[in-house]
Amino acid sequence: MNITSNLLSVRGLRKRHGSRELLRGLDFDLSAHDCVLLTGENGAGKSTLLRILAGLERPDAGAFSLQGAPARPWRKARKALGRSVLYLHQQPWMFDGSVAYNLGYALRGSRKSRRARINEALAWIEMEAFAETPARTLSGGERQRIALARAWLRQPAVMLLDEPTANLDREARQRTLALLHRLHQEGMTLVIASHDPDHFGGLIRRHLHLDQGRLDEQPVPGGPPVRLVGSEPA
Amino acid sequence: MNSLLEATRGALEMLLSGDPELWTIIGISFKVSTTAILVATPPALLTAFLLAYLRFPGRRVLISLFSTFLSVPAVVVGLTLYLLLSSRGPLGDWRLLFTQTAMVMGQVVLAFPILVAMGHAALQALDRRAWETARTLGAGPLRAFFTLVRESRFGLLAALLAAYGRIIAEVGSSMMLGGNILHYTRNIPTAIALETSKGEFAQGIALGAILLILAFTLNGLLHYFQGKGVAVP
Repeated sequence: MNITSNLLSVRGLRKRHGSRELLRGLDFDLSAHDCVLLTGENGAGKSTLLRILAGLERPDAGAFSLQGAPARPWRKARKALGRSVLYLHQQPWMFDGSVAYNLGYALRGSRKSRRARINEALAWIEMEAFAETPARTLSGGERQRIALARAWLRQPAVMLLDEPTANLDREARQRTLALLHRLHQEGMTLVIASHDPDHFGGLIRRHLHLDQGRLDEQPVPGGPPVRLVGSEPA
Repeated sequence: MNSLLEATRGALEMLLSGDPELWTIIGISFKVSTTAILVATPPALLTAFLLAYLRFPGRRVLISLFSTFLSVPAVVVGLTLYLLLSSRGPLGDWRLLFTQTAMVMGQVVLAFPILVAMGHAALQALDRRAWETARTLGAGPLRAFFTLVRESRFGLLAALLAAYGRIIAEVGSSMMLGGNILHYTRNIPTAIALETSKGEFAQGIALGAILLILAFTLNGLLHYFQGKGVAVP
């Protein structure tokens, strides 16, 4: 199968949960610097789709191509997906340890260079004073920022965010949105699953809607023209 | 009553005077049981992880099987290994019967299901996001596995202590596989059984006191670690 060179291309993605067909042969492409909003009802399969893209959940079928490489089934593309695509849970998991330990988890290199990167990340999220604070004692909003900084340090090609502003108060939401804007300005490709499209105004360039296992692209004011997105006919 | 007091006084004297025979027995006990735990723990942890994180046919049967093995009497394990290791058994050529190695084998068999069952419970209780976060942050399967071990270390340590407490106090398997040979395979429980059968209570009480102190320490540690291992979202 030949897929044009996008950052990530998916063809024929299928996933069944029990007797229910959650994803029905989805086709879509992501380009570099895309910022995609993924909407859908509860249980529509948004999280499942993101987890499959991040290499965390096995689909029943589908071909995946990263950065123009030949399309491969998930089992063979899994490693490459894991390297390039990062998934952030709705409620980020904090490892048992300090904020610095959590930020340094994905880092390699000497102790000194890791420390420098951790300090850089702490400055990026304006939490310099929290380096030695146990991460699990932080509020939901602070954890979300730590998770974003941890992801930022890893520098994936694509970042998938599952309801990043759910359960956050107004101030925490504003801070999270500001970080998402910065990530996008720095060139990160973002896919944001959310129930609240209004929260992400000004950030979103494309809008995909998942309904009954099918993906539909909806126009975004000021966004690029609607691209190839499809599913198997009903 | 008088004989009990005399025996207790004798036991204290033996313990405090550093009676070489007594302390050799204690040393053998700790050496055999610590070796058994060190041998059993890595494969048991891996098995616990596979049972907690992989879905495969027969998984539930295996979990039930390990839970069942928790209550197998030590003497049955001893008898089974005795039949395997005796000169007419399939492993008779190894000439391991009545050695410390045979005692270690028996204790590994006893410790393994405890480590698997309790380890599985500890890993199963851990939120799946721990594994997924490790993987999505670039950890390979091995590093992610050690991350899970770190995250559930209090539960796993509880498993380790429970298994250690069980094997250092068991008598059936050690007696059958070790043969209770002085200065070689005589450990605390087999020595207590022997001395009691001879009516020599002082050494039995002294060794019993060591086991009680150990049991108390292990239980104290167990409660401490179980209290610390509270899952945090």
